[in-house]
Amino acid sequence: MSILLRRPTGREPRPSTRHDDNAESLLTTFLRRIMRWEIGLCLLIVIVTIGSSTASSNFLSPFNLETMALNATVLGFLALGVAPVIMTGDIDLSVASILALSGVVMAVLWQHGTNIWLAALIAIVLGAALGLVNGLVVVMFELPSLAVTLGSMSTYTGIAFLVLQGNAIINFPAPLVQLGSGGLFGSDFPIATLVLLLFASILAFILHLTGFGKAVFAIGGNRQAARFSGVPVARTRILVYVIAGVFSALAAIFYLGNFDTAQANMAADQLLPAITAVILGGVSAYGGSGTIPGVVLALILLQVLETGLGVAGLSGQEQTISVGVLLIIAISGGAAINAARNRSRRREQRADIARADAEEVTQATSSIGSEQQAHEQGQ
Amino acid sequence: MASIIELQDIHHSYGAVETLRGVSFSLSPGEVVGLVGENGAGKSTIVKVLTGVVQPFKGTIVVQGSERVFANPRVAREAGIAAMYQEPMLFPDLSITENIFAGHQQTRRGTIAWRQMDKEARVLLAQLDLPIDPQTPVYQLRVAERQLVEIAKALSSGARLLILDEPTAVLSAREVDALYTIVRGLKARGVTILFISHRLEEVYQWTDRVIVLRDGQKVAEKPTKDVTIPELIRDMVGREIATLYPKQPAKIGDTILEVKGLTHRGYFEDVSFALRQGEILGFAGLVGAGRTELAQSLFGIDPIDSGQITLAGYPFHPRSPRHAISCGLAYLPENRLVHGLVPTMTIPLNMTMSVWKRLLTLLGVLPTGRMNRLTDTLSRRVRLQAGRRDRLVSALSGGNQQKVVLSKWLAVEPRVLILDEPTHGIDVGAKADILTIISDLAQAGVGILFISSEMEEVRSMCNRLVVMREGHVAGIFASPVDSKTIMTAASGIPSTVEASA
Amino acid sequence: MSKRPVMPSSLERGVSGMAQFIRVREVGLIAILVIVSVMAAITLPAFRNGVNVRELLNNAAVVAVVAIGESLVLMSRQIDLSVGAILGLAAFITGSLISQVNVLGGVGVVLVAILLPLVIGVVLGFVNGLLISFARMPAIIATLATLSIYSGLQVLVSGGSQVYAYQVPAWLNQLYTSTWLGVGSFVWIGAAWVLLFSFIMRMLRWGRDLYAMGSNPEAARYMAIPTRRRTIEAFMVCGALAGFGGLLYISQYGNVDATAGAGFELTVIAAAVVGGVSLFGGSGSPLGAALGSVLLLEIENVLALLKISIFAQQTLQGVAIILAVALYAVLMRRLQQPASRARNQPDIDTQRRVKTEVQQ
Repeated sequence: MSILLRRPTGREPRPSTRHDDNAESLLTTFLRRIMRWEIGLCLLIVIVTIGSSTASSNFLSPFNLETMALNATVLGFLALGVAPVIMTGDIDLSVASILALSGVVMAVLWQHGTNIWLAALIAIVLGAALGLVNGLVVVMFELPSLAVTLGSMSTYTGIAFLVLQGNAIINFPAPLVQLGSGGLFGSDFPIATLVLLLFASILAFILHLTGFGKAVFAIGGNRQAARFSGVPVARTRILVYVIAGVFSALAAIFYLGNFDTAQANMAADQLLPAITAVILGGVSAYGGSGTIPGVVLALILLQVLETGLGVAGLSGQEQTISVGVLLIIAISGGAAINAARNRSRRREQRADIARADAEEVTQATSSIGSEQQAHEQGQ
Repeated sequence: MASIIELQDIHHSYGAVETLRGVSFSLSPGEVVGLVGENGAGKSTIVKVLTGVVQPFKGTIVVQGSERVFANPRVAREAGIAAMYQEPMLFPDLSITENIFAGHQQTRRGTIAWRQMDKEARVLLAQLDLPIDPQTPVYQLRVAERQLVEIAKALSSGARLLILDEPTAVLSAREVDALYTIVRGLKARGVTILFISHRLEEVYQWTDRVIVLRDGQKVAEKPTKDVTIPELIRDMVGREIATLYPKQPAKIGDTILEVKGLTHRGYFEDVSFALRQGEILGFAGLVGAGRTELAQSLFGIDPIDSGQITLAGYPFHPRSPRHAISCGLAYLPENRLVHGLVPTMTIPLNMTMSVWKRLLTLLGVLPTGRMNRLTDTLSRRVRLQAGRRDRLVSALSGGNQQKVVLSKWLAVEPRVLILDEPTHGIDVGAKADILTIISDLAQAGVGILFISSEMEEVRSMCNRLVVMREGHVAGIFASPVDSKTIMTAASGIPSTVEASA
Repeated sequence: MSKRPVMPSSLERGVSGMAQFIRVREVGLIAILVIVSVMAAITLPAFRNGVNVRELLNNAAVVAVVAIGESLVLMSRQIDLSVGAILGLAAFITGSLISQVNVLGGVGVVLVAILLPLVIGVVLGFVNGLLISFARMPAIIATLATLSIYSGLQVLVSGGSQVYAYQVPAWLNQLYTSTWLGVGSFVWIGAAWVLLFSFIMRMLRWGRDLYAMGSNPEAARYMAIPTRRRTIEAFMVCGALAGFGGLLYISQYGNVDATAGAGFELTVIAAAVVGGVSLFGGSGSPLGAALGSVLLLEIENVLALLKISIFAQQTLQGVAIILAVALYAVLMRRLQQPASRARNQPDIDTQRRVKTEVQQ
């Protein structure tokens, strides 16, 4: 008989002394699950949007929305790709370089006659391969991910330069441009945004609903405990690097479609914003927690904020500064919230222990009583 | 002789648990005093109070006649108190010299006087019989050598009281002798040593006086020459607790696990034993005897150099924890928080972690419904009373945490379950629950390896008992076996008791 | 247990213990440097060229100065990704202001020229330190944020314009090309900083505190080392050196625009890592960072002379970092003594995180 189904011997289970427990309403569970971070992000988005649209009447115009959405595409893919790596407790500084190299290879292949979609597919495979290299070096050789991806970042960019030298490739075929900057069925809604949301959904599905995703969070939470519990740690860690590589390649495809130019240093300045978006999205820098919806919200917030600041007259660099400041505020705020939460958690824990003690006294006496009874009845 | 330090009526609690209840004693210069007691008796709390890591909420500390408050470790250090733990807290990248003088480097005109410090370090090391170049970085040293560096550190900062907290657990016999010589030398110099150890014959040999703690109180204090080891054991263990150990008889089946000549060089050697279905095989021994190392090698965490393992009749070469689990093994680690739980995850996630694979549906989805149902079943089984199901495990009490870890392994439905100190640091109620479950598991036919340092527990719960000493099997005994036999086998004092398998 | 080895004699330990693995590291670096230099000199006449050598050393000096500062931060188990931006900002501000300060005459100008970038660097570094020590931000994230802020400020402050060479005092412009006793002035300056910080890190408690913090932060706190203060101070010094690098930058390039120093942090970290500064903290030295700078730039120089694309430099940097880290990791693991119980200890990060989660 299965161990699990056997009825426990000895004393009766203690009646629950806490009144709430599992009879919670669906709404409360949902609200609590949503975590305050995402709600904070939503609030900020709303505030900034309101502020910006009062400052400029066409902030919410279809054209502006479309522009913002398109601008966020490349960054979006990069951020989504690097998020799982950070969730496992590692980091990948090479995502922008993988974008550059796979984009360059794709462009060069096309230039030499390859069908653009085939070239795109090859780019994706290359991105996966580059990510795989990262993963293998970090996991198999047990080297710090910061150092390794710092190195691979330079290496991949260097190779991109070697391939393209200082040249640029332009004038990509219309279908690609349509993909990168066109609207859905001729409307204003960008295809790129649709694809981005699609991939975000897939990634969210993987990370939040599947066993693989749980493994990611377990590894970020406590790698050794995960390993001792049978979670496939090495395999998972390598795979998230592959995912990052794939998403970087996707970003490259949309970069080419949107900007219609391939250069060896394309999107080099997007690494920091990508990591900013991830951290801003509530993903812990140490790993083990965070959500994809949070990252998406952060991306929206960043885009809206930058555009809004632009509308308010701030230059591009002032916007960048503000983003940096926002990051600082977000992290410090998050740390403060965590500290407060830990304090209340400790109080709960002490209450637990006290309760356990109080109960066991009654329990122990009753158990000794029942054992003696059983003994007397000739067990 | 005037005391150098005196504890008067010290009370301390952690949350609602009272760890020290009115402990008083005094220490004089040049004494070696032993402090013994079971796990949880309060020994480490005393050390923390003496070193200023925690503060008592009642009671006083008197240092050389004047009352002191050790608000932090530095104050305690300056008062001349130094502690050396099993794993010394040193700076691995820095040299021996630098470690010895950490915090009080000698300076000449503002700059560090390396040459002078090196010279003094050499002298100290020579006194401690450690002939190593003091410029060697500490990470190159073995544990025994690092301990000596810690002692040198204590001496150089003028420590008058040196606390040795279980120092011999990680040492070889030769290294223990070396340490004993050092202790004698320190004693001659007037340094007081507070020696905390589970190894009673060492305590007997080394100390002038012995203090016994039990349940946070001092229950005995006698000159060493006036006690015997059995008396010490009796004082340590105290109450009659047989009724609290709910072992039910189980049907013993075929051999499920057979280990022959298993060796991992440096950790354990030539270990052989057999485990049968439904049997609880205890593993007793002093800390450092190699039991955890053995468990971890069986579970695929650490490598194996030689030997054979047969599991359910088939040869078994554990490659990794994942592999071991798939073959039907389970391992409850000694340090549940660090090795057993992911603190950022909820109860259901932790409980089902080892069987996620089994719960997956289409596309690899891990359905919350299935997970929660399994969690509820398991929670009922272990009598987990932790309130809301989706609480993070870091918020649970120790007993509840252990129940979660245990549930994780119940879910695996293993053939062989290895338990490493399963009731360590757990309140009595949860302890009884956990032991009941273990007993039930045995009745269900699971073979159990039960590693424990608690004598009573291991004696009452197990059918047979393997005693390990310094990486070897010192004896295999059938229940019932008395504590004295276990202790003598564990510590190596020759005994005339027959070993019977 | 019979298996555990006897403690070897002091002679054996003296030799095998490698009196200072640290020193061996530097000796090894020097050896590699010499080998590479000699080989290059023999096979490439262009390498031997006086101008080439001087430029190489001058460039290396700039990297070395900033790498020394970065190494201080790295050795205390932190990281500073904003040094490039600090350098650029300090360069621009100093460059534009210096042309307007003719008040105190010659000496005054020199003083301002030297102090201003240092002060700017100190202030910017102070902000970094504050974020990490008090706002408890992980160093990567904090300096990532300040990197964007500082480079943004660069653009803001420059407002699209540049500092032109003619605006910079002649002595500063000529510093790059001037030689003292046949050796480039930059080399002397770099050497001076190396000496100063080698002294500080070896002979002053302040320096040893940083090593301790990097080697075992918990033990450092236990020993009552003021870790928060030291962290801030380390970042301030790193910022100061980055600022000084900005001064050298002005001399080197003459023109300073809003992109000055961009990407420089990677070169600096690569140089430090190649020079043996561990990313985990606790080991390495300013001399190592300087030697790493020279080695890194020398190999780049050789590749350039071999007509290998300038773009290979980046690749090289990347590969160099990975190889250096792997090499040092392998060596450390070889030498490390696994204590029997220590094997059951989790990695330091898990330990730290679990501790803070539960015990707070």
